[in-house]
Amino acid sequence: MNRQFYLDLAAAGLRMPIGTDLILHAESKPEEVRNDGAALGRVVERAARRWHTPLAVPLMDLRLEKIDLLALTGISAQEAEGYHFTAPMDEDTLTKLCGAQTVGGCPGSCARDEALRYVATKEDLVPVGMTIGPFSLTTRLLADPITVTALAGMGISWEDSEDVQLLWQCVRISEAAVLRSIRSQIAHGARAMMICEPTACTAFISPRQLKAGSDLFERLVMGPNLRLKAMLEEAGCDLIFHDCGELIDPMVKAFAHRLHPVILSLGNSRKLWEDARLVPKDVVLYGNLPSKSFYSDGAMPVEEVIGRTGELITRMEECGHPLIVGSECDVLFVPEASDRIWKKVDAMISVKLCSDRNGGTGCQAAAETATEFAAG
Amino acid sequence: MTQSKELYDAILNGDAKKAYAVTQAAIDRGLAPMTLISESMVPAMDEVGRLFEAEEYFVPELLLAGRAMKSSMELLRPLMISSGQKFSTRVVIGTVKGDLHDIGKNIVASMLEGGGFEVIDLGADVAPEKFVAAVEERKPQIVCMSALLTVTMPAMKTTIDALASAGLRTKVKVLIGGAPVTSQYAKEIGADGYSENASGAVSLVKNLLAVA
Repeated sequence: MNRQFYLDLAAAGLRMPIGTDLILHAESKPEEVRNDGAALGRVVERAARRWHTPLAVPLMDLRLEKIDLLALTGISAQEAEGYHFTAPMDEDTLTKLCGAQTVGGCPGSCARDEALRYVATKEDLVPVGMTIGPFSLTTRLLADPITVTALAGMGISWEDSEDVQLLWQCVRISEAAVLRSIRSQIAHGARAMMICEPTACTAFISPRQLKAGSDLFERLVMGPNLRLKAMLEEAGCDLIFHDCGELIDPMVKAFAHRLHPVILSLGNSRKLWEDARLVPKDVVLYGNLPSKSFYSDGAMPVEEVIGRTGELITRMEECGHPLIVGSECDVLFVPEASDRIWKKVDAMISVKLCSDRNGGTGCQAAAETATEFAAG
Repeated sequence: MTQSKELYDAILNGDAKKAYAVTQAAIDRGLAPMTLISESMVPAMDEVGRLFEAEEYFVPELLLAGRAMKSSMELLRPLMISSGQKFSTRVVIGTVKGDLHDIGKNIVASMLEGGGFEVIDLGADVAPEKFVAAVEERKPQIVCMSALLTVTMPAMKTTIDALASAGLRTKVKVLIGGAPVTSQYAKEIGADGYSENASGAVSLVKNLLAVA
Protein backbone atom coordinates (compact mmCIF):
# COMPACT_ATOMS: atom_id res chain seq x y z
CA MET A 1 0.00 0.00 0.00
CA ASN A 2 1.57 3.22 -1.21
CA ARG A 3 0.23 5.42 1.55
CA GLN A 4 2.88 8.10 1.10
CA PHE A 5 1.64 8.76 -2.43
CA TYR A 6 -1.71 9.93 -1.08
CA LEU A 7 -0.14 11.90 1.74
CA ASP A 8 2.00 13.68 -0.85
CA LEU A 9 -1.11 14.52 -2.88
CA ALA A 10 -2.66 16.09 0.21
CA ALA A 11 0.54 17.96 1.03
CA ALA A 12 0.61 19.35 -2.50
CA GLY A 13 -2.85 20.85 -1.94
CA LEU A 14 -4.81 18.65 -4.35
CA ARG A 15 -8.46 19.57 -4.80
CA MET A 16 -10.83 17.46 -6.84
CA PRO A 17 -14.53 16.66 -6.86
CA ILE A 18 -15.99 13.21 -7.43
CA GLY A 19 -17.06 14.70 -10.70
CA THR A 20 -16.95 12.12 -13.48
CA ASP A 21 -20.71 12.38 -13.99
CA LEU A 22 -20.30 16.06 -14.88
CA ILE A 23 -17.68 15.21 -17.48
CA LEU A 24 -19.81 12.35 -18.83
CA HIS A 25 -22.68 14.74 -19.46
CA ALA A 26 -20.49 16.98 -21.52
CA GLU A 27 -20.60 14.18 -24.09
CA SER A 28 -23.22 14.45 -26.83
CA LYS A 29 -24.63 10.98 -26.00
CA PRO A 30 -23.79 10.32 -22.37
CA GLU A 31 -26.02 7.28 -21.99
CA GLU A 32 -24.23 5.54 -24.86
CA VAL A 33 -20.85 6.41 -23.42
CA ARG A 34 -21.91 5.01 -20.04
CA ASN A 35 -21.98 1.51 -21.52
CA ASP A 36 -19.01 1.90 -23.89
CA GLY A 37 -15.86 0.97 -22.00
CA ALA A 38 -13.35 2.72 -24.21
CA ALA A 39 -15.38 5.92 -24.41
CA LEU A 40 -16.06 5.79 -20.68
CA GLY A 41 -12.36 5.33 -20.03
CA ARG A 42 -11.66 8.51 -21.97
CA VAL A 43 -14.27 10.33 -19.86
CA VAL A 44 -12.63 9.12 -16.65
CA GLU A 45 -9.25 10.25 -17.99
CA ARG A 46 -10.69 13.61 -18.99
CA ALA A 47 -12.11 14.08 -15.50
CA ALA A 48 -8.74 13.37 -13.93
CA ARG A 49 -6.98 15.79 -16.24
CA ARG A 50 -9.69 18.44 -15.81
CA TRP A 51 -8.88 18.57 -12.12
CA HIS A 52 -5.15 17.86 -12.41
CA THR A 53 -5.30 14.74 -10.32
CA PRO A 54 -3.59 11.40 -10.81
CA LEU A 55 -6.64 9.72 -9.24
CA ALA A 56 -8.84 8.58 -12.11
CA VAL A 57 -12.13 8.18 -10.28
CA PRO A 58 -14.87 6.28 -12.13
CA LEU A 59 -18.57 7.00 -12.38
CA MET A 60 -20.23 6.48 -9.04
CA ASP A 61 -22.79 3.94 -10.21
CA LEU A 62 -23.73 1.97 -7.13
CA ARG A 63 -26.38 -0.08 -8.95
CA LEU A 64 -24.04 -2.37 -10.77
CA GLU A 65 -23.33 -4.94 -8.08
CA LYS A 66 -27.06 -5.40 -7.38
CA ILE A 67 -27.81 -5.85 -11.08
CA ASP A 68 -25.04 -8.44 -11.47
CA LEU A 69 -26.05 -10.26 -8.27
CA LEU A 70 -29.71 -10.53 -9.22
CA ALA A 71 -28.81 -11.64 -12.75
CA LEU A 72 -27.69 -14.89 -11.09
CA THR A 73 -31.31 -15.48 -10.05
CA GLY A 74 -32.69 -14.56 -13.45
CA ILE A 75 -33.82 -11.03 -12.53
CA SER A 76 -33.26 -8.67 -15.46
CA ALA A 77 -31.35 -5.41 -15.17
CA GLN A 78 -34.59 -3.48 -15.69
CA GLU A 79 -36.28 -5.28 -12.82
CA ALA A 80 -33.21 -5.22 -10.58
CA GLU A 81 -33.41 -1.62 -9.42
CA GLY A 82 -36.81 -2.02 -7.78
CA TYR A 83 -36.41 -5.66 -6.77
CA HIS A 84 -36.33 -6.72 -3.14
CA PHE A 85 -36.09 -10.16 -1.58
CA THR A 86 -39.22 -10.88 0.40
CA ALA A 87 -38.55 -14.26 1.99
CA PRO A 88 -35.52 -16.23 3.18
CA MET A 89 -33.58 -17.98 0.44
CA ASP A 90 -33.04 -21.72 0.27
CA GLU A 91 -29.55 -23.16 0.55
CA ASP A 92 -29.22 -23.78 -3.17
CA THR A 93 -29.93 -20.14 -3.95
CA LEU A 94 -27.56 -18.97 -1.23
CA THR A 95 -24.81 -21.21 -2.54
CA LYS A 96 -25.35 -19.93 -6.06
CA LEU A 97 -25.24 -16.30 -4.97
CA CYS A 98 -22.30 -16.71 -2.61
CA GLY A 99 -20.27 -19.21 -4.53
CA ALA A 100 -20.07 -17.93 -8.09
CA GLN A 101 -16.52 -16.96 -8.79
CA THR A 102 -17.01 -15.22 -12.08
CA VAL A 103 -20.08 -13.52 -13.39
CA GLY A 104 -20.80 -12.06 -16.77
CA GLY A 105 -21.40 -8.45 -15.89
CA CYS A 106 -24.14 -6.14 -17.07
CA PRO A 107 -23.20 -3.54 -19.71
CA GLY A 108 -22.44 -0.99 -16.99
CA SER A 109 -20.07 -3.34 -15.17
CA CYS A 110 -18.33 -4.35 -18.38
CA ALA A 111 -17.91 -0.71 -19.36
CA ARG A 112 -16.58 0.12 -15.89
CA ASP A 113 -13.99 -2.67 -16.18
CA GLU A 114 -12.98 -1.78 -19.74
CA ALA A 115 -12.66 1.85 -18.68
CA LEU A 116 -10.25 0.71 -15.98
CA ARG A 117 -8.26 -1.22 -18.54
CA TYR A 118 -8.02 1.93 -20.66
CA VAL A 119 -6.98 4.15 -17.74
CA ALA A 120 -4.41 1.58 -16.67
CA THR A 121 -2.53 2.29 -19.90
CA LYS A 122 -1.96 5.89 -18.77
CA GLU A 123 1.20 5.81 -16.68
CA ASP A 124 0.52 9.10 -14.92
CA LEU A 125 -2.93 8.06 -13.70
CA VAL A 126 -4.02 5.75 -10.88
CA PRO A 127 -6.97 3.64 -12.05
CA VAL A 128 -9.45 3.79 -9.19
CA GLY A 129 -12.19 1.18 -9.00
CA MET A 130 -15.45 1.67 -7.20
CA THR A 131 -18.02 -0.56 -5.59
CA ILE A 132 -21.00 -0.27 -3.33
CA GLY A 133 -20.14 -1.57 0.12
CA PRO A 134 -21.57 -4.85 1.42
CA PHE A 135 -23.90 -3.28 3.99
CA SER A 136 -25.19 -0.67 1.55
CA LEU A 137 -25.84 -3.42 -1.01
CA THR A 138 -27.67 -5.39 1.69
CA THR A 139 -29.98 -2.42 2.28
CA ARG A 140 -30.82 -2.30 -1.43
CA LEU A 141 -31.90 -5.94 -1.41
CA LEU A 142 -34.56 -5.39 1.25
CA ALA A 143 -37.79 -3.42 1.09
CA ASP A 144 -37.49 -2.10 4.65
CA PRO A 145 -33.86 -2.44 5.65
CA ILE A 146 -33.97 -0.01 8.55
CA THR A 147 -36.77 -1.78 10.39
CA VAL A 148 -35.28 -5.24 9.99
CA THR A 149 -31.85 -3.93 11.05
CA ALA A 150 -33.48 -2.36 14.09
CA LEU A 151 -35.22 -5.65 14.90
CA ALA A 152 -31.87 -7.40 14.73
CA GLY A 153 -30.49 -4.66 16.96
CA MET A 154 -33.22 -5.39 19.50
CA GLY A 155 -31.80 -8.89 19.76
CA ILE A 156 -34.28 -10.67 17.54
CA SER A 157 -32.42 -13.59 16.02
CA TRP A 158 -32.89 -15.22 12.69
CA GLU A 159 -34.48 -18.19 14.40
CA ASP A 160 -37.18 -15.87 15.71
CA SER A 161 -37.87 -13.91 12.57
CA GLU A 162 -37.81 -14.67 8.87
CA ASP A 163 -37.14 -10.99 8.20
CA VAL A 164 -34.01 -11.09 10.33
CA GLN A 165 -32.99 -14.39 8.74
CA LEU A 166 -33.29 -12.73 5.33
CA LEU A 167 -31.21 -9.79 6.55
CA TRP A 168 -28.28 -12.02 7.46
CA GLN A 169 -28.60 -13.93 4.22
CA CYS A 170 -28.45 -10.66 2.29
CA VAL A 171 -25.34 -9.65 4.22
CA ARG A 172 -23.67 -12.88 3.05
CA ILE A 173 -24.63 -12.59 -0.58
CA SER A 174 -23.78 -8.88 -0.64
CA GLU A 175 -20.26 -9.47 0.62
CA ALA A 176 -19.80 -12.13 -2.04
CA ALA A 177 -21.14 -9.83 -4.75
CA VAL A 178 -18.85 -6.97 -3.75
CA LEU A 179 -15.90 -9.35 -3.63
CA ARG A 180 -16.61 -10.47 -7.19
CA SER A 181 -16.84 -6.87 -8.33
CA ILE A 182 -13.56 -5.95 -6.68
CA ARG A 183 -11.77 -8.98 -8.14
CA SER A 184 -12.99 -8.12 -11.63
CA GLN A 185 -11.91 -4.49 -11.31
CA ILE A 186 -8.48 -5.45 -10.00
CA ALA A 187 -8.10 -7.90 -12.86
CA HIS A 188 -8.80 -4.98 -15.22
CA GLY A 189 -6.16 -2.78 -13.65
CA ALA A 190 -7.61 -1.05 -10.59
CA ARG A 191 -4.84 0.01 -8.21
CA ALA A 192 -7.12 1.66 -5.69
CA MET A 193 -10.67 0.74 -4.75
CA MET A 194 -13.31 3.09 -3.43
CA ILE A 195 -15.78 1.18 -1.28
CA CYS A 196 -18.93 3.26 -0.85
CA GLU A 197 -21.04 2.65 2.26
CA PRO A 198 -23.54 5.52 2.37
CA THR A 199 -26.02 3.56 4.47
CA ALA A 200 -23.50 2.54 7.14
CA CYS A 201 -24.80 5.46 9.15
CA THR A 202 -27.14 6.49 11.94
CA ALA A 203 -30.18 6.46 9.66
CA PHE A 204 -29.83 2.69 9.32
CA ILE A 205 -27.98 1.64 12.46
CA SER A 206 -29.21 3.19 15.68
CA PRO A 207 -26.59 4.75 17.95
CA ARG A 208 -29.05 4.14 20.75
CA GLN A 209 -28.90 0.40 20.11
CA LEU A 210 -25.12 0.50 19.74
CA LYS A 211 -24.84 2.32 23.08
CA ALA A 212 -27.00 -0.39 24.64
CA GLY A 213 -24.45 -2.97 23.55
CA SER A 214 -25.67 -4.17 20.16
CA ASP A 215 -22.92 -5.62 17.96
CA LEU A 216 -24.78 -4.73 14.78
CA PHE A 217 -22.21 -2.28 13.48
CA GLU A 218 -19.50 -4.88 13.87
CA ARG A 219 -21.45 -7.69 12.21
CA LEU A 220 -23.09 -5.68 9.44
CA VAL A 221 -20.41 -3.18 8.51
CA MET A 222 -16.98 -3.71 9.99
CA GLY A 223 -16.78 -7.49 9.63
CA PRO A 224 -17.52 -7.62 5.90
CA ASN A 225 -15.45 -4.52 5.13
CA LEU A 226 -12.46 -5.82 7.09
CA ARG A 227 -12.52 -9.00 5.03
CA LEU A 228 -12.63 -6.94 1.84
CA LYS A 229 -9.76 -4.81 3.11
CA ALA A 230 -7.70 -7.95 3.69
CA MET A 231 -8.39 -9.06 0.15
CA LEU A 232 -7.38 -5.65 -1.20
CA GLU A 233 -4.16 -5.71 0.79
CA GLU A 234 -3.31 -9.12 -0.54
CA ALA A 235 -3.87 -7.82 -4.08
CA GLY A 236 -1.81 -4.70 -3.47
CA CYS A 237 -4.81 -2.45 -4.09
CA ASP A 238 -5.28 0.67 -1.95
CA LEU A 239 -8.53 1.15 -0.02
CA ILE A 240 -10.42 4.43 -0.30
CA PHE A 241 -13.44 4.33 2.02
CA HIS A 242 -16.44 6.58 1.39
CA ASP A 243 -19.36 7.16 3.71
CA CYS A 244 -21.36 10.35 3.21
CA GLY A 245 -24.07 9.38 5.71
CA GLU A 246 -24.67 10.81 9.19
CA LEU A 247 -22.14 9.21 11.50
CA ILE A 248 -21.20 9.17 15.14
CA ASP A 249 -17.60 9.50 16.28
CA PRO A 250 -17.07 5.79 17.03
CA MET A 251 -18.05 4.97 13.44
CA VAL A 252 -15.54 7.44 12.03
CA LYS A 253 -12.89 6.11 14.38
CA ALA A 254 -13.59 2.52 13.39
CA PHE A 255 -13.37 3.32 9.67
CA ALA A 256 -10.19 5.32 10.14
CA HIS A 257 -8.30 3.02 12.51
CA ARG A 258 -9.53 -0.46 11.70
CA LEU A 259 -10.16 -0.19 7.96
CA HIS A 260 -7.21 2.21 7.83
CA PRO A 261 -7.87 3.37 4.28
CA VAL A 262 -5.43 5.55 2.39
CA ILE A 263 -8.25 8.08 1.99
CA LEU A 264 -11.38 8.44 4.15
CA SER A 265 -14.14 10.34 2.33
CA LEU A 266 -16.91 11.77 4.50
CA GLY A 267 -20.15 13.68 3.97
CA ASN A 268 -20.94 17.27 4.80
CA SER A 269 -22.53 16.45 8.16
CA ARG A 270 -19.00 16.02 9.53
CA LYS A 271 -16.50 18.72 10.37
CA LEU A 272 -13.27 17.30 9.05
CA TRP A 273 -11.09 19.40 11.36
CA GLU A 274 -12.89 17.85 14.32
CA ASP A 275 -12.69 14.37 12.79
CA ALA A 276 -8.95 14.85 12.44
CA ARG A 277 -8.59 14.00 16.13
CA LEU A 278 -10.29 10.64 15.47
CA VAL A 279 -8.26 9.73 12.39
CA PRO A 280 -4.63 8.59 12.22
CA LYS A 281 -2.31 11.13 10.61
CA ASP A 282 -1.48 8.70 7.80
CA VAL A 283 -5.10 8.58 6.61
CA VAL A 284 -5.94 11.40 4.23
CA LEU A 285 -9.34 12.97 4.82
CA TYR A 286 -11.27 13.79 1.65
CA GLY A 287 -14.21 16.08 1.14
CA ASN A 288 -16.52 17.43 2.12
CA LEU A 289 -18.10 20.45 0.53
CA PRO A 290 -21.92 20.21 0.39
CA SER A 291 -22.18 19.28 -3.28
CA LYS A 292 -25.69 17.82 -2.87
CA SER A 293 -26.89 21.42 -2.55
CA PHE A 294 -24.86 22.86 -5.43
CA TYR A 295 -27.93 22.76 -7.70
CA SER A 296 -29.53 25.61 -5.75
CA ASP A 297 -28.15 29.14 -5.53
CA GLY A 298 -30.69 29.85 -2.81
CA ALA A 299 -29.57 26.98 -0.63
CA MET A 300 -25.89 27.16 -1.48
CA PRO A 301 -24.73 30.36 -3.16
CA VAL A 302 -21.26 30.35 -4.65
CA GLU A 303 -20.12 32.76 -1.92
CA GLU A 304 -21.03 30.14 0.65
CA VAL A 305 -19.07 27.46 -1.22
CA ILE A 306 -16.05 29.74 -1.29
CA GLY A 307 -16.39 30.57 2.38
CA ARG A 308 -16.73 26.94 3.41
CA THR A 309 -13.81 25.88 1.24
CA GLY A 310 -11.66 28.56 2.80
CA GLU A 311 -12.71 27.58 6.28
CA LEU A 312 -12.03 23.91 5.61
CA ILE A 313 -8.55 24.54 4.27
CA THR A 314 -7.66 26.96 7.07
CA ARG A 315 -8.93 24.72 9.84
CA MET A 316 -7.24 21.64 8.43
CA GLU A 317 -3.96 23.51 8.15
CA GLU A 318 -4.34 24.56 11.78
CA CYS A 319 -4.86 20.98 12.95
CA GLY A 320 -2.19 19.68 10.61
CA HIS A 321 -4.17 16.77 9.20
CA PRO A 322 -3.71 15.76 5.55
CA LEU A 323 -6.65 16.82 3.39
CA ILE A 324 -7.69 16.54 -0.22
CA VAL A 325 -10.42 19.12 -0.76
CA GLY A 326 -13.41 17.67 -2.53
CA SER A 327 -17.11 17.04 -2.67
CA GLU A 328 -19.12 15.23 -0.03
CA CYS A 329 -20.24 12.71 -2.64
CA ASP A 330 -20.68 12.28 -6.38
CA VAL A 331 -21.47 15.63 -8.01
CA LEU A 332 -24.39 14.68 -10.21
CA PHE A 333 -25.23 16.45 -13.44
CA VAL A 334 -28.61 18.19 -13.23
CA PRO A 335 -29.69 19.62 -16.60
CA GLU A 336 -31.55 22.62 -15.22
CA ALA A 337 -28.74 23.49 -12.85
CA SER A 338 -25.64 22.59 -14.81
CA ASP A 339 -24.13 26.07 -14.90
CA ARG A 340 -24.79 26.65 -11.20
CA ILE A 341 -23.17 23.34 -10.27
CA TRP A 342 -20.12 23.86 -12.45
CA LYS A 343 -19.62 27.35 -11.06
CA LYS A 344 -19.48 25.99 -7.53
CA VAL A 345 -17.21 23.08 -8.41
CA ASP A 346 -14.83 25.53 -10.07
CA ALA A 347 -15.07 27.82 -7.06
CA MET A 348 -14.22 24.97 -4.70
CA ILE A 349 -11.15 24.16 -6.76
CA SER A 350 -10.02 27.73 -7.24
CA VAL A 351 -10.38 29.36 -3.83
CA LYS A 352 -7.11 30.93 -2.82
CA LEU A 353 -6.39 31.84 0.75
CA CYS A 354 -4.44 34.87 1.86
CA SER A 355 -1.50 32.64 2.72
CA ASP A 356 -1.36 31.74 -0.97
CA ARG A 357 -1.03 35.37 -1.96
CA ASN A 358 0.37 37.86 0.49
CA GLY A 359 1.25 35.72 3.49
CA GLY A 360 -1.60 37.12 5.54
CA THR A 361 -4.23 35.21 7.48
CA GLY A 362 -7.93 34.61 7.15
CA CYS A 363 -10.02 34.41 4.05
CA GLN A 364 -9.89 37.93 2.64
CA ALA A 365 -8.82 36.53 -0.68
CA ALA A 366 -11.78 34.19 -0.53
CA ALA A 367 -14.02 37.24 -0.48
CA GLU A 368 -12.25 38.61 -3.53
CA THR A 369 -12.75 35.32 -5.33
CA ALA A 370 -16.40 35.43 -4.35
CA THR A 371 -16.73 38.79 -6.06
CA GLU A 372 -15.12 37.38 -9.18
CA PHE A 373 -17.45 34.41 -9.26
CA ALA A 374 -20.51 36.48 -8.49
CA ALA A 375 -19.64 38.74 -11.40
CA GLY A 376 -19.08 35.70 -13.65
CA MET B 1 -51.05 0.31 34.46
CA THR B 2 -53.88 1.51 32.27
CA GLN B 3 -54.14 0.20 28.77
CA SER B 4 -53.59 3.71 27.50
CA LYS B 5 -50.20 3.84 29.23
CA GLU B 6 -49.34 0.30 28.13
CA LEU B 7 -50.05 1.16 24.51
CA TYR B 8 -48.15 4.43 24.83
CA ASP B 9 -45.13 2.54 26.19
CA ALA B 10 -45.38 -0.21 23.57
CA ILE B 11 -45.28 2.37 20.77
CA LEU B 12 -42.52 4.36 22.39
CA ASN B 13 -40.45 1.20 22.79
CA GLY B 14 -41.19 0.01 19.26
CA ASP B 15 -42.82 -3.20 20.47
CA ALA B 16 -45.31 -4.08 17.75
CA LYS B 17 -46.43 -7.35 19.34
CA LYS B 18 -47.16 -5.65 22.64
CA ALA B 19 -48.96 -2.79 20.90
CA TYR B 20 -51.18 -5.26 19.06
CA ALA B 21 -51.93 -7.27 22.20
CA VAL B 22 -52.72 -4.22 24.30
CA THR B 23 -54.94 -2.77 21.59
CA GLN B 24 -56.87 -6.02 21.30
CA ALA B 25 -57.34 -6.11 25.06
CA ALA B 26 -58.57 -2.51 25.02
CA ILE B 27 -61.04 -3.25 22.22
CA ASP B 28 -62.28 -6.30 24.14
CA ARG B 29 -62.93 -4.01 27.10
CA GLY B 30 -64.96 -1.65 24.92
CA LEU B 31 -62.49 1.23 24.70
CA ALA B 32 -63.29 3.53 21.77
CA PRO B 33 -60.69 3.61 18.95
CA MET B 34 -60.46 7.40 18.98
CA THR B 35 -59.73 7.28 22.70
CA LEU B 36 -56.78 5.00 22.12
CA ILE B 37 -55.59 7.15 19.25
CA SER B 38 -55.90 10.43 21.10
CA GLU B 39 -54.76 9.24 24.54
CA SER B 40 -52.02 6.81 23.58
CA MET B 41 -50.96 6.81 19.98
CA VAL B 42 -50.75 10.49 19.19
CA PRO B 43 -48.95 11.34 22.45
CA ALA B 44 -46.59 8.41 21.94
CA MET B 45 -45.66 9.52 18.43
CA ASP B 46 -45.36 13.11 19.63
CA GLU B 47 -42.87 11.89 22.24
CA VAL B 48 -41.06 9.82 19.60
CA GLY B 49 -40.75 12.98 17.53
CA ARG B 50 -39.47 14.95 20.52
CA LEU B 51 -36.87 12.30 21.29
CA PHE B 52 -35.79 12.33 17.65
CA GLU B 53 -35.36 16.10 17.69
CA ALA B 54 -33.37 15.71 20.91
CA GLU B 55 -31.14 13.17 19.12
CA GLU B 56 -32.01 10.48 21.63
CA TYR B 57 -34.02 8.55 19.10
CA PHE B 58 -32.85 7.94 15.58
CA VAL B 59 -34.48 6.84 12.35
CA PRO B 60 -34.57 3.15 13.39
CA GLU B 61 -36.50 4.07 16.55
CA LEU B 62 -38.91 6.17 14.47
CA LEU B 63 -39.61 3.22 12.22
CA LEU B 64 -40.01 0.75 15.06
CA ALA B 65 -42.48 3.10 16.76
CA GLY B 66 -44.32 3.57 13.47
CA ARG B 67 -44.47 -0.19 13.05
CA ALA B 68 -45.88 -0.62 16.52
CA MET B 69 -48.44 2.08 15.86
CA LYS B 70 -49.44 0.46 12.57
CA SER B 71 -49.97 -2.89 14.25
CA SER B 72 -52.38 -1.17 16.59
CA MET B 73 -54.11 0.62 13.70
CA GLU B 74 -54.64 -2.74 11.95
CA LEU B 75 -57.18 -3.47 14.68
CA LEU B 76 -58.61 0.03 15.01
CA ARG B 77 -59.07 1.04 11.39
CA PRO B 78 -61.80 -1.53 10.55
CA LEU B 79 -63.70 -0.50 13.68
CA MET B 80 -63.50 3.15 12.75
CA ILE B 81 -64.65 2.49 9.19
CA SER B 82 -67.57 0.37 10.33
CA SER B 83 -68.70 3.00 12.81
CA GLY B 84 -68.39 5.79 10.22
CA GLN B 85 -65.67 7.63 12.13
CA LYS B 86 -63.41 9.78 10.03
CA PHE B 87 -59.92 11.11 10.41
CA SER B 88 -59.69 14.85 10.59
CA THR B 89 -57.19 15.16 7.78
CA ARG B 90 -56.28 13.13 4.75
CA VAL B 91 -52.77 13.14 3.33
CA VAL B 92 -51.60 11.79 -0.01
CA ILE B 93 -47.91 10.96 -0.03
CA GLY B 94 -45.48 9.59 -2.58
CA THR B 95 -41.96 9.67 -3.95
CA VAL B 96 -41.86 11.49 -7.25
CA LYS B 97 -41.51 10.11 -10.75
CA GLY B 98 -38.16 8.53 -11.52
CA ASP B 99 -37.19 8.10 -7.88
CA LEU B 100 -37.41 4.70 -6.20
CA HIS B 101 -36.24 5.80 -2.78
CA ASP B 102 -39.03 5.38 -0.28
CA ILE B 103 -37.51 5.02 3.15
CA GLY B 104 -37.86 8.69 4.06
CA LYS B 105 -41.34 8.80 2.63
CA ASN B 106 -42.30 5.71 4.64
CA ILE B 107 -41.05 7.30 7.82
CA VAL B 108 -43.07 10.45 7.18
CA ALA B 109 -46.16 8.34 6.39
CA SER B 110 -45.72 6.50 9.70
CA MET B 111 -45.30 9.70 11.65
CA LEU B 112 -48.36 11.25 10.00
CA GLU B 113 -50.46 8.19 10.80
CA GLY B 114 -49.18 8.37 14.32
CA GLY B 115 -50.17 12.01 14.36
CA GLY B 116 -53.77 10.97 13.74
CA PHE B 117 -53.93 11.65 10.02
CA GLU B 118 -55.31 9.37 7.33
CA VAL B 119 -52.49 8.60 4.93
CA ILE B 120 -52.84 7.41 1.36
CA ASP B 121 -49.43 6.17 0.28
CA LEU B 122 -48.95 6.14 -3.48
CA GLY B 123 -45.54 4.50 -3.21
CA ALA B 124 -42.45 5.44 -5.17
CA ASP B 125 -41.88 6.55 -8.75
CA VAL B 126 -45.24 8.30 -8.79
CA ALA B 127 -46.08 10.15 -11.96
CA PRO B 128 -47.65 13.60 -11.72
CA GLU B 129 -50.88 12.30 -13.22
CA LYS B 130 -51.12 9.72 -10.46
CA PHE B 131 -50.82 12.42 -7.82
CA VAL B 132 -53.52 14.39 -9.67
CA ALA B 133 -55.79 11.35 -9.85
CA ALA B 134 -55.34 10.68 -6.14
CA VAL B 135 -56.22 14.26 -5.27
CA GLU B 136 -59.29 14.17 -7.52
CA GLU B 137 -60.49 10.88 -6.11
CA ARG B 138 -59.55 11.05 -2.45
CA LYS B 139 -59.76 14.80 -1.86
CA PRO B 140 -56.91 15.13 0.63
CA GLN B 141 -56.06 18.33 2.39
CA ILE B 142 -52.34 17.70 2.08
CA VAL B 143 -50.05 16.30 -0.62
CA CYS B 144 -46.54 15.29 0.45
CA MET B 145 -43.82 14.63 -2.11
CA SER B 146 -40.42 13.12 -1.50
CA ALA B 147 -37.29 13.01 -3.69
CA LEU B 148 -33.85 11.77 -2.79
CA LEU B 149 -31.95 12.73 -5.91
CA THR B 150 -31.26 16.14 -7.39
CA VAL B 151 -32.08 14.69 -10.80
CA THR B 152 -35.59 13.68 -9.70
CA MET B 153 -36.43 16.84 -7.78
CA PRO B 154 -37.75 18.62 -10.91
CA ALA B 155 -40.62 16.13 -10.89
CA MET B 156 -41.89 17.95 -7.80
CA LYS B 157 -42.44 21.11 -9.83
CA THR B 158 -43.94 19.09 -12.66
CA THR B 159 -46.42 17.59 -10.22
CA ILE B 160 -47.32 20.98 -8.74
CA ASP B 161 -47.86 22.30 -12.26
CA ALA B 162 -50.02 19.26 -13.07
CA LEU B 163 -52.16 19.97 -10.00
CA ALA B 164 -52.55 23.56 -11.17
CA SER B 165 -53.47 22.50 -14.71
CA ALA B 166 -56.13 20.20 -13.27
CA GLY B 167 -57.58 23.05 -11.24
CA LEU B 168 -56.62 21.34 -7.99
CA ARG B 169 -53.68 23.38 -6.76
CA THR B 170 -55.69 25.64 -4.52
CA LYS B 171 -57.53 22.70 -2.99
CA VAL B 172 -54.46 21.18 -1.35
CA LYS B 173 -51.39 22.18 0.56
CA VAL B 174 -48.22 20.74 -0.96
CA LEU B 175 -45.28 19.80 1.20
CA ILE B 176 -41.95 18.53 -0.04
CA GLY B 177 -38.98 16.83 1.51
CA GLY B 178 -35.97 14.62 0.90
CA ALA B 179 -32.23 14.80 1.34
CA PRO B 180 -31.37 17.32 -1.39
CA VAL B 181 -34.52 19.42 -0.93
CA THR B 182 -34.34 22.82 0.73
CA SER B 183 -36.82 25.43 1.90
CA GLN B 184 -35.49 27.69 -0.84
CA TYR B 185 -36.34 25.07 -3.46
CA ALA B 186 -39.79 24.70 -1.96
CA LYS B 187 -40.37 28.42 -2.43
CA GLU B 188 -38.96 28.35 -5.96
CA ILE B 189 -41.37 25.68 -7.14
CA GLY B 190 -44.42 26.99 -5.33
CA ALA B 191 -44.74 24.36 -2.62
CA ASP B 192 -46.49 25.39 0.59
CA GLY B 193 -43.91 23.93 2.88
CA TYR B 194 -40.77 21.95 3.34
CA SER B 195 -39.62 19.73 6.15
CA GLU B 196 -36.11 18.69 6.92
CA ASN B 197 -37.21 15.53 8.66
CA ALA B 198 -40.13 13.26 9.42
CA SER B 199 -41.14 14.64 12.80
CA GLY B 200 -40.99 18.13 11.38
CA ALA B 201 -43.42 17.04 8.69
CA VAL B 202 -46.11 16.32 11.27
CA SER B 203 -45.71 19.74 12.92
CA LEU B 204 -45.74 21.37 9.50
CA VAL B 205 -48.97 19.66 8.50
CA LYS B 206 -50.60 20.76 11.74
CA ASN B 207 -49.40 24.34 11.26
CA LEU B 208 -50.58 24.48 7.66
CA LEU B 209 -53.99 23.18 8.64
CA ALA B 210 -54.23 25.73 11.41
CA VAL B 211 -53.80 28.60 8.97
CA ALA B 212 -55.83 27.03 6.16
